[in-house]
Amino acid sequence: MASGLLLEAGLAITVLAVAGTLAYRLGQSVIPAYIVIGLFVGPNAPEVAGISFAVLERHEFVDLLAELGVVLLLFFIGVEFSIDQLLANRDRLAVIGGIDLVVNAAVGVAIGLAFGFSPVEVAFLTGIVYISSSAIVTKSLIDLGWVADPEAEVVLGTLVVEDLVIAVYLAVLSALVLGGGGGAALSAVAVALGFIAVLVVVARVGTPVVQRVLSVDSDELFVLTTLGVVALVGGLALQLGVSEAVAAFFVGTAVSATDEVHRVEKLLSPARDLFAAIFFLAIGFQTDLGALSGTALALLAVAVVLTSASKLASGYWSGLRYGLSERRARRAGIALVARGEFSLVLAALALDVGTGALADVIPAFAVGYVLAMSVLGTTLMKAAPRLERYLEERTTEST
Amino acid sequence: MTVYETDVPGVGRKFELEVDDGARLVVLMHHDGRRELFHRPDPDADSQRIADMDGETARQLGAILTGAYFQPIELDRTQVPLGEAILEWVDIDEGAAVVGQTLSGCDVRNQTGVSVVAIQRGDETLPNPDPDETIAAGDILVVLGTREEQQALQEFVER
Repeated sequence: MASGLLLEAGLAITVLAVAGTLAYRLGQSVIPAYIVIGLFVGPNAPEVAGISFAVLERHEFVDLLAELGVVLLLFFIGVEFSIDQLLANRDRLAVIGGIDLVVNAAVGVAIGLAFGFSPVEVAFLTGIVYISSSAIVTKSLIDLGWVADPEAEVVLGTLVVEDLVIAVYLAVLSALVLGGGGGAALSAVAVALGFIAVLVVVARVGTPVVQRVLSVDSDELFVLTTLGVVALVGGLALQLGVSEAVAAFFVGTAVSATDEVHRVEKLLSPARDLFAAIFFLAIGFQTDLGALSGTALALLAVAVVLTSASKLASGYWSGLRYGLSERRARRAGIALVARGEFSLVLAALALDVGTGALADVIPAFAVGYVLAMSVLGTTLMKAAPRLERYLEERTTEST
Repeated sequence: MTVYETDVPGVGRKFELEVDDGARLVVLMHHDGRRELFHRPDPDADSQRIADMDGETARQLGAILTGAYFQPIELDRTQVPLGEAILEWVDIDEGAAVVGQTLSGCDVRNQTGVSVVAIQRGDETLPNPDPDETIAAGDILVVLGTREEQQALQEFVER
């Protein structure tokens, strides 16, 4: 049996490599490529001319590695999250993060209500459309060189606030849905918030301890220690009915205050990239494109149009409030359009709950939505100079 | 001469220097040690990437820019071109004789022959320090001179 598993694992990682290479050649983000390949060679693969492409099965190892991927993604967000920086720029960040939250969450709630979803379903939908993709946006900013320009400060500042909001949001939402309904849910939320409060205190007070634990000379022991702690705290959180991703985020913030940040980034990035790729593959495995019809398809069309517009508007407004020129403010909006990993983390949580629209419509919608928005976001960023020239010509003609 | 320094979350640190009439040089230090150099012709323009280099290349470039490789002759001051010169970082300990003295007061230049090009004090760097600058314990002097002159300075500091 084990021999078969190794073949499966080899196949899975190889198709990821092929898909990633293709995306790289096309100048696209790798995340949608990983999902698409999961859709086309996974258990739900389409049949073409009577031949099924379903060469890969959803083994336990895929789920386990995907879980590690989610945990490491959030851990890294925590590591790169600077509480001090947040406090130092709190006035500015509160304004741009506030605009981003209010505008985009409002659109999410409105869409959810219009489709007649239950409150929990609306909550999931809102989270999925609110949060931009830190991974895709940051990488695009660097690749296009926008990172050297002032608009990057607005975009990255917005992402910092979003990361914090989604950590708290995930905590409350997962406690609500994993804890059942009514009074049980309330106590579950209390347990979740208590667990997080403990983690936050440990993160703030325990920095010297974390520093001591992490200051091992040997790189391999460093990797083992860090991965061990992250997986352990995540697993412990799950036992208590708290989101493992949120727990990992706070473990990351404990590391962010130590001198080991760069070392973590250097040594653990490969592990994160590998496991996160498998997470995106697993999302593709779990998604049945057949479910993307009727309600889910209508929802997808409406959400793509409205939430692109809402990010463009909120980014533009944030940019103007930050004192950017019109053109740079527009770019801030364009840069925030791409959605990605966090929307999928929420979709995975919705699948775990698996009742009503959360079982089929929302996960299928989320995958289609992330595919559309990640490609649209990166394409818009690349086309920005052309769009700007076109706008300039239009305005000079009309005056 | 203003250097604008900002943190770039998830990426690294950004430094901007004004070069002339509103143009800026932007240096982006990535967390992974990569350095990118951009030029922004005017505040409204897009930054153009000039170079992307690893840490070692960047340090090499920095050394060339500071004049450690080649010292041009500035005509208003007769100065020997320092073909043999090297840059050294000298820690000033608590007990050093020069602590509490100004640069001109201890006459470091005439006594040893080195030029103090900068003083690193904690997180800040004082480029081209004033002759009246007082040397404090814990300072790091960045000095330019030949090997012999550097040796003389070591002895001078440790007296």
